[in-house]
Amino acid sequence: MASRPLSIPIEDFGDAVWRANALGGAAEATVATGHPALDAQLPGGGWPVGAISEILQLQSGQHEWRLLLPALTRADLGPVTVLVGAPHAPFGPGLVAQGFDARRLLWVNVAVLAERLWAAEQALRCAEVAAVLAWLPQVRAPQLRRLQIAASMHHKLLFVMRPAQAQDESSPAVLRLLVVNSPSGVDTPTQALRLHILKRRGPPLAQALVLPESSTRLKVLLAVSGHADAGGYKQEGDDALGRLAAAA
Amino acid sequence: MHWVALQPQPEAAAPPTPGLTDALGALGWWALQFTPRVARLEDALLLEVSASERLWGGRQPLLRHIYKANKPVALVKYAQGATSLIAFARLQAAALVRTAPDELPLAALAAARPHLAVLVRLGCTQWGQLRALPRAGVARRFGAPLLDALDQAYGLKPELYPWLVMPDVFEAALELTAQVETAPALLFGARRLLQQLQVWLQLRQSGVLALALMWTMDARRDTATEGQLVLRTAEPTGEMSHLERLLGEHLARVTLPAPVLYLRLRTLETQQLGGRSASLLPEDLRPGDSLHQLLERLSARLGPQQVLHWQAGADHRPERMQAWQPASDASQLIASKLINTRAIGQKGTKPLKDAKQQVLPKMAPPPALYPTWLLASPLKLAVQHKRPQYQGPLTLLSGPQRLEAGWWEAGDCALRDYFLARSDQSGLLWIYRERLDGPGRSSHPANAGAQWYLHGLFA
Repeated sequence: MASRPLSIPIEDFGDAVWRANALGGAAEATVATGHPALDAQLPGGGWPVGAISEILQLQSGQHEWRLLLPALTRADLGPVTVLVGAPHAPFGPGLVAQGFDARRLLWVNVAVLAERLWAAEQALRCAEVAAVLAWLPQVRAPQLRRLQIAASMHHKLLFVMRPAQAQDESSPAVLRLLVVNSPSGVDTPTQALRLHILKRRGPPLAQALVLPESSTRLKVLLAVSGHADAGGYKQEGDDALGRLAAAA
Repeated sequence: MHWVALQPQPEAAAPPTPGLTDALGALGWWALQFTPRVARLEDALLLEVSASERLWGGRQPLLRHIYKANKPVALVKYAQGATSLIAFARLQAAALVRTAPDELPLAALAAARPHLAVLVRLGCTQWGQLRALPRAGVARRFGAPLLDALDQAYGLKPELYPWLVMPDVFEAALELTAQVETAPALLFGARRLLQQLQVWLQLRQSGVLALALMWTMDARRDTATEGQLVLRTAEPTGEMSHLERLLGEHLARVTLPAPVLYLRLRTLETQQLGGRSASLLPEDLRPGDSLHQLLERLSARLGPQQVLHWQAGADHRPERMQAWQPASDASQLIASKLINTRAIGQKGTKPLKDAKQQVLPKMAPPPALYPTWLLASPLKLAVQHKRPQYQGPLTLLSGPQRLEAGWWEAGDCALRDYFLARSDQSGLLWIYRERLDGPGRSSHPANAGAQWYLHGLFA
């Protein structure tokens, strides 16, 4: 009597087995980031719903909107986005210009970390809230874990903004991104973003992702207005406007 | 007709519900959920249940509900009968529960009590014996009321009672078992009052918008003897969990000058609750709190000034183009208007368009040149070699966009040239140069005395 072969093809297990050299399938739903280059590198093809996405940056307030607005403007998300402890006041007209209805924002302007954590957790519990953006500079891993549980219980998008120094600490977030400005050439007026994916459900990514410049609209407007005013406001040692004028 | 009589047992009522001032009143409110016909007779409650039997699935299920349901008074005696007086008479002793009407003692008939001694000497101790006597003689000897009562007891005459109705304003008091020294501990007593309020709201089919919790403090301390807390909620609610949480947040901020002895709860504003139609679609059933609950809870703990929502302003000055206002006042606006338009408008395009029209005035500069963050107050920039500095020298990319507004307000005149600048450290910035007043001085762009300010960030 022949014994059954012990080696079962791993494909038989389906999604239950994740090979470390492949991108993990997203356990929960994802929301497309709106940046195709980033989508391609994220498991499930977008921001994970019901989990923390950690965004590390050298200086808070620099890249959040560029990175997150394309996803937040999606119509099928819930109606309210909550900002907990934003570094500055969000400027509604600028957000509206990029297609995000600023009336959907709820800004919880508190400074104390404990209050920010509490507010974020309360916001995650609300049915109408689609996404929570929390700036938590000194947060510790147990506190993050608590938020992670709240997010997964209520299936919300949760973005936590932290300083770049936190990249060596352990974190329960399923996705960690380090965002830096790429060194800008003079001919690229708006800087490209370099994303280092520090953690994802998938193999580590050695090289940084480069997200192209922000909106093409901004670029065109820059070019046009630069062309119009280049003559009067050219400064010593600055040939950017001249090049723009030539390009336009 | 079928009547149920209820009587709270006085000796047993005290321990489980300390300080309940009116046990029978509380029981009456509770009984109103089964039938609108609830009346008080002496120290008992009479419920006429035949009209609501079908609603509860028959007489037996209804009686089971009445017997088994959680009552405000722990121990209650029950009896039932075809008329209210039969039920009431059977209530008097446990042995009478199944007695036929003819054999009920006359002592249990209220109208016969004044004549009880005479009737006993006549040999009449039971209803049937009194009924067998000639009516004319009974009427002459004992008066018409006794006959009327007897007719009512046998269902020959209609029984009319002043039915119990809910008061228009809920007000309940509670005597605390022990002196309460700290405000958060009042929540335990308040919870009991809220349970009563919930019953009252259910019966009136309304929700509460505002209520006041009042407490009376020990007068022996030389302080105020009364204190109160007014609680408001944006949407009328009939469930107490949200109110309880709000009350807890507010009580956490109260300090009591003296121990509290009594609590009172009173509604200030209520509103009829419309029936809510539930959706069959699973995507409409999102679990979680509603938005106004979130706003109220956040505002209660963090303060209303910290929970802000956005409003557009009709002005050209960036700091006046928008106002971040306390969201607790505007929860209706966010909740109803925005969400509803989003639900109706296909994929949210409609409200977006509205917002654009509302936000951007005609004379506005190209919209994409607005930053996404605005500094609370413009940051004065240092100038080196005629170039503004912010974490290193700035490179001007575009501009100027000239802003001249606010001249109608003294001291708030904005004469600015806005530029888009790039910093290697912090990306794109929105800076402006104060245009100095007076002819000629501002004509040259490289004005030596120009003051530069950082006003926004492109994130």
